[in-house]
Amino acid sequence: MSTIQDFSGYDPTWCPGCGDWGIGIAIKQSLIQLGLSPSSVAVVFGIGCSGNMNDFLNAYAIHSLHGRAIPNAIGIKIANHKLPVIAIVGDGDCYGEGGNHLLHACRGNHDITIIVHDNGVYGLTTGQSAPTAQKGFKSKSTPSGILETPINPLTLTITSGATFVAQSFAGDALHTISMIKAGIEHKGFSVINILQPCVTFNKINTYQYYLQRVYKLDENYQKNDFKTAVQKSLEINEEKFPLGVIYQTEKPSYTDQLPQLKETTLTDKKRFTEFEKITKLFI
Amino acid sequence: MTDFTWLIGGEAGFGIMTTGLVFSKIAARSGYHIFDYFEYPSLIRGGHNACEAHVSDVEVSYLSPTIDVLVCLNKETYEKHRARLTPKSLVVFDQDEFEIKEDVKKIVVPFKKILSDLKGQPVMKNTIALGASIGLLKGDINELIKIISEQFAKKGENVINFNKQFVQAGFDAINKNHSGSILNYLVKKSDGEKLVLTGNDAFSLGSVIADARVYVAYPMTPSSTVLTDLAAWQEKVGIVVRHAEDEISVINTAIGSSFAGVRSAVGTSGGGFALMVESVSFSGITEIPIVVFIAQRPGPATGMPTWTEQGDLLFSVFSGHGEFPKIILAPGDNEEMIELAAKAYNLADIYQMPVIVMSDMYLSESHKSVSKKFVDDFIANYKVNRGKLFGQDKISKIKSKKYLRYKIEDDGISERLIPGTPGYFYQANSYEHVEDGHTTEEAQPRIDQVDKRARKWTTYLKNDFATPKIYGDLDKSEIVFVSWGSTKGIVLQAQKLLKSKGTNSAFIHFNHMYPLDKEKILSLFKQNKKYILVENNSWGQFGKLLTMETGFQIKEKILRYDGRPITPEQIVSKL
Repeated sequence: MSTIQDFSGYDPTWCPGCGDWGIGIAIKQSLIQLGLSPSSVAVVFGIGCSGNMNDFLNAYAIHSLHGRAIPNAIGIKIANHKLPVIAIVGDGDCYGEGGNHLLHACRGNHDITIIVHDNGVYGLTTGQSAPTAQKGFKSKSTPSGILETPINPLTLTITSGATFVAQSFAGDALHTISMIKAGIEHKGFSVINILQPCVTFNKINTYQYYLQRVYKLDENYQKNDFKTAVQKSLEINEEKFPLGVIYQTEKPSYTDQLPQLKETTLTDKKRFTEFEKITKLFI
Repeated sequence: MTDFTWLIGGEAGFGIMTTGLVFSKIAARSGYHIFDYFEYPSLIRGGHNACEAHVSDVEVSYLSPTIDVLVCLNKETYEKHRARLTPKSLVVFDQDEFEIKEDVKKIVVPFKKILSDLKGQPVMKNTIALGASIGLLKGDINELIKIISEQFAKKGENVINFNKQFVQAGFDAINKNHSGSILNYLVKKSDGEKLVLTGNDAFSLGSVIADARVYVAYPMTPSSTVLTDLAAWQEKVGIVVRHAEDEISVINTAIGSSFAGVRSAVGTSGGGFALMVESVSFSGITEIPIVVFIAQRPGPATGMPTWTEQGDLLFSVFSGHGEFPKIILAPGDNEEMIELAAKAYNLADIYQMPVIVMSDMYLSESHKSVSKKFVDDFIANYKVNRGKLFGQDKISKIKSKKYLRYKIEDDGISERLIPGTPGYFYQANSYEHVEDGHTTEEAQPRIDQVDKRARKWTTYLKNDFATPKIYGDLDKSEIVFVSWGSTKGIVLQAQKLLKSKGTNSAFIHFNHMYPLDKEKILSLFKQNKKYILVENNSWGQFGKLLTMETGFQIKEKILRYDGRPITPEQIVSKL
């Protein structure tokens, strides 16, 4: 079994108190508890403070471009659908720059897990507002307050076809671990939106702010009911943050539906050599 | 000797393209070489569609200035193309639909009456026209019936028989009323078996030969038929074809699958490529192999979607921010497209960089017959070369070996490692990195990695760059044409026309576009001759590239940028 040490690369450079610390530990713990090793998992990092985990987490990895982690992850999964594939991204990265990719990855039910660090700001570029920033949020790029209303990542992904949508809070490592594990184990497109304070650039959405507004879904919550899930997801518009699996359903994943992947992965298949089958089409 | 042009035209949306392909296939099955070209506006219904097929005893890949048989399914076809008729040309049309006042050789076929008598749909006019054309050119009607049967095989015997009637009616109309006009142009003869391919088909075939396993695209004319070809073959071949949400996703999906270990390609036109270029740079620094197919059309922006141009050469050369090596190839015809498409996958793996294969609408959408023996021989001789792969030869020794993804090597090429290999891991990093892949901002490792990546170009120029092919005698000719990519067949024909007038010329044709080997190239340009640059664009882009890479300047230029291909006559007339 792998250890925290096996998964640990360079020492993190996040600000003291940053939510990324908790998420970083939770990701490593989840991988260990699922029996994975740095050789048996593929991780794609976006660009941002979250993406900087590339140097701190050992795995077969791509440190992608800003916004492009999801299509990279889809490509890895198509080539080797037996490999667990995770994308570690930020809110600006995934809901802003890469928003279109997220939407269509939900539709495709690609069997990959998206771990979103949602702190409402662009930390790495020193604190401009992100797509999840609450309306009126003042930042360097929106000195009079942001005019746009925030993205609701839960409603967006549930209604776009994601088959697993969860939310957790970086201040609750154990809950975050359980959500990440459930997401990776889920067969299909899974999104875990992790609420995360940015102690340096976001003075609104602090640990205190979240502690007063998060609550865990109770055992009777019907996570497999689409309408219930949409209703629940809308609560974040009123600054109430349910934690837990908001929605989960079973549908065939993208690679499940490809007959050419039934026997083996693309990486392991033998070279096609019956060229007459193709050349005859042109005679 | 057979050498003629047949053109069919009609309203868009009525099957002109399919009809043109059937005609080309019949000609190829009857032992002739063909080159065809489609003219169509960027819309689905309304507007004018035309397909012309140049049929010959010898290999052709250019359009003839004149039309020998003009098949008009509507009046517009006649109006648009009559300027290319000669006194000998035959014009097939229906007097019940429109009149022709001019003194041309009229071949009246009662399309309207046949359709009404046999209760056919308007689209079956094409079938009648094919029957009439085969009759008029003394072709083998059985070949036509065979193709119709293949086309409708899934729809059953009744549909096949129904369609056969229209073939026969067209054929009979000629033999009954115009037997005196019949030409012996398509009399069946034996010649080697031929494939009728477009440049896009050739790229698709080359990709399958090269063992490409992932192809990702977003539809964009004139590249889309690579997407539809490979999508149609995917279960047969075992390739996965993803039609992604946009071109950014397209290239990043392919970069992901390539990282995971399978040969991956994307295809688009200039506008789609513009969206991809950030990731061309990403492939450059992560050293993840990727093959990019670009079928050019006239820009800028949406430009003229269904027409041709070679306007994206310099854009491709400079695509992607930052400094990193890439390779650009531009096949001159279908045979070269098969070879260079397949070579592109080897180069991408060997040099671990983006390899761009450039086509244009003229090459991508025109059919050209290719000898089946050529294709079979190429397949038999092609070797998949995955380049340097870590531990592939000595699996048992792998455990003891330290792995550095971006190890500094003399030839610039570090070993790749397929993700999932037990006992190892590494990151492909879009940030500058040290040898093991971790991010760095230190000066020396940065210099080392920039230099390492640049050395891959040196290695490529030494081992895999091919100098341009020379056609004609460079020493003895005063006129030397210089061109690249799809203009090849056109310049070759211009050379023949000149020769028939007693002028010898030479032709330097480039298909390995970038980088260029300065010394090898300059040796071709030393002599005091009249060099003439021929390009399908307004800037003379290759001329600029040549100057940039070698310092040599070509002063005389023949350029065309109205969306139409250059013609051999145009070249000759400008001398």
